[in-house]
Amino acid sequence: MSDRLEHPTLYEASGAGPPVLLGHRCSQCGLAGFPRQSLGCEGCGAGGDNLKPITLIAGGKLVSFAVVHRHAGKDIAAPFIVGEINLNDGPLIRCTLSAGTPSALTIGQDMIGVLEHNPAADASVRELRFKPEQAS
Amino acid sequence: MSKRLSDFRPVFVVGAGLHPYQKYSPTPYVALGVTAIREALLDAGVAWPEVESAFVATALLGMAPGRPMLRHLGATGLAITHVENASASGSTAFRLAAMEIASGQSNLNIAVGVDKPAMIELGSRQAGLDFLERERVAAFTHFALLAQKYAHEHRATPEDFARVAVKNLANGARNPYAQRREPKSLQEVLGASPLAGFLTPLQSCPIGEGAAATILASEDGIRQLGIDPRRAVRVLSSTLRSERIYEDNSGFDAALTEETVRQSLAEAGVSPSALDIVELHDAFTVEELLYVERMGLCDPGDAPRRLKAGHFDIGGDVAVSPSGGLIAMGHPLGPTGLGQIAEITRQLRGEAESRQHPNAKTGLAHMVGVGAVCAAHVLRREA
Repeated sequence: MSDRLEHPTLYEASGAGPPVLLGHRCSQCGLAGFPRQSLGCEGCGAGGDNLKPITLIAGGKLVSFAVVHRHAGKDIAAPFIVGEINLNDGPLIRCTLSAGTPSALTIGQDMIGVLEHNPAADASVRELRFKPEQAS
Repeated sequence: MSKRLSDFRPVFVVGAGLHPYQKYSPTPYVALGVTAIREALLDAGVAWPEVESAFVATALLGMAPGRPMLRHLGATGLAITHVENASASGSTAFRLAAMEIASGQSNLNIAVGVDKPAMIELGSRQAGLDFLERERVAAFTHFALLAQKYAHEHRATPEDFARVAVKNLANGARNPYAQRREPKSLQEVLGASPLAGFLTPLQSCPIGEGAAATILASEDGIRQLGIDPRRAVRVLSSTLRSERIYEDNSGFDAALTEETVRQSLAEAGVSPSALDIVELHDAFTVEELLYVERMGLCDPGDAPRRLKAGHFDIGGDVAVSPSGGLIAMGHPLGPTGLGQIAEITRQLRGEAESRQHPNAKTGLAHMVGVGAVCAAHVLRREA
């Protein structure tokens, strides 16, 4: 796990557990947000001082998914699968899913984050992806 | 309590004109816009010097393209306001033009949208926040995710989504202003390689160039300028909202449309079942299924069955996107919302020729802009 992360401002490893996303929680209304910012709360408008940095466990329910055949990204080869995951810790995120077939996916299933090599990128870099929890 | 459009004096659409939507060409935007404006002036039967205020909608042309275009109609010194609101730029220009007339500030305004394809950086990309997916999720992938979710919830099939394109491409084939004018079969729509998920290229709107103009007037303006009141179409309501945080992270798409259209219909005093014409933001096929349900045109999950049975055809219960919608007519951004108003105006006047929906009296225009914002206008033929 000494590899570099593709987006170190967005997530990090967390010991033996799943990775965590770097977010914030509003001390006024309690809304959790991602990515982390300090400009103001989208829920209640409280100033950035009220947004406390927190980590969000990379685990949640699969809301939807799609096989991407065309895209503008230069760091991954299509096709790949993108999923929407409702994190157990609050926010809805979109993330690339681990390699696999869409037939292995069911909306509503539990998903877990993993830090994986992207075969199309530098071998020393890992990025956050999600996969079905039972496959972990 | 804040006031609504209907609390002020009545506003009418008295003229509409377009330059056909088309693929990128060497034609300067000025020529596109002037063509649409001259057609709108001719349609209204008014001269350019009578126009008091112009609202110019563009999303891609850059700073201040209005005056270099409008000067070719005559430099009258009229007020010029530029409007950028992503895909809803034209709808927002229309709203501002209508509000200015309703308030009594002017009697004859124009809202004109014009655009040409260009690469620009979205505001959200310059907001200083990083994203997990960056360029991996294009707009069509956002809607492919929506389609997959809809299919899961309502057991919809790829054919159910593709039928939206079949209907709208058939409508567009009858529209001389449409960018796509060829009808396609279900097999042809489904046969191409997908962009993402269920969505194939013909289920995605073409982004091209074009222009659309509408001329709006007060009753005083209609009377003073000798405009034919029988061809005037009343603007009953104007609503503009933006995304908020929705319960259970369900996303803005359908929810924002539902609350915006509900508010606009309430302001107009019109029930969903009274709508004869709906022009909606079908940038991708799944949107039509989602939106007709959330607008109250049918029950949740029933849109595929109704679509297949022809309820949304020209001549059906309610003609949805008789222009061809964004899927067939095209989506040049700045003009798109105004092109919807032009189509509804023609339909309500009975002037839509081969696309005419019988006895059309009331219409709804609906646009979504990235951000997200949503605009809705209800129009009615009064004469």
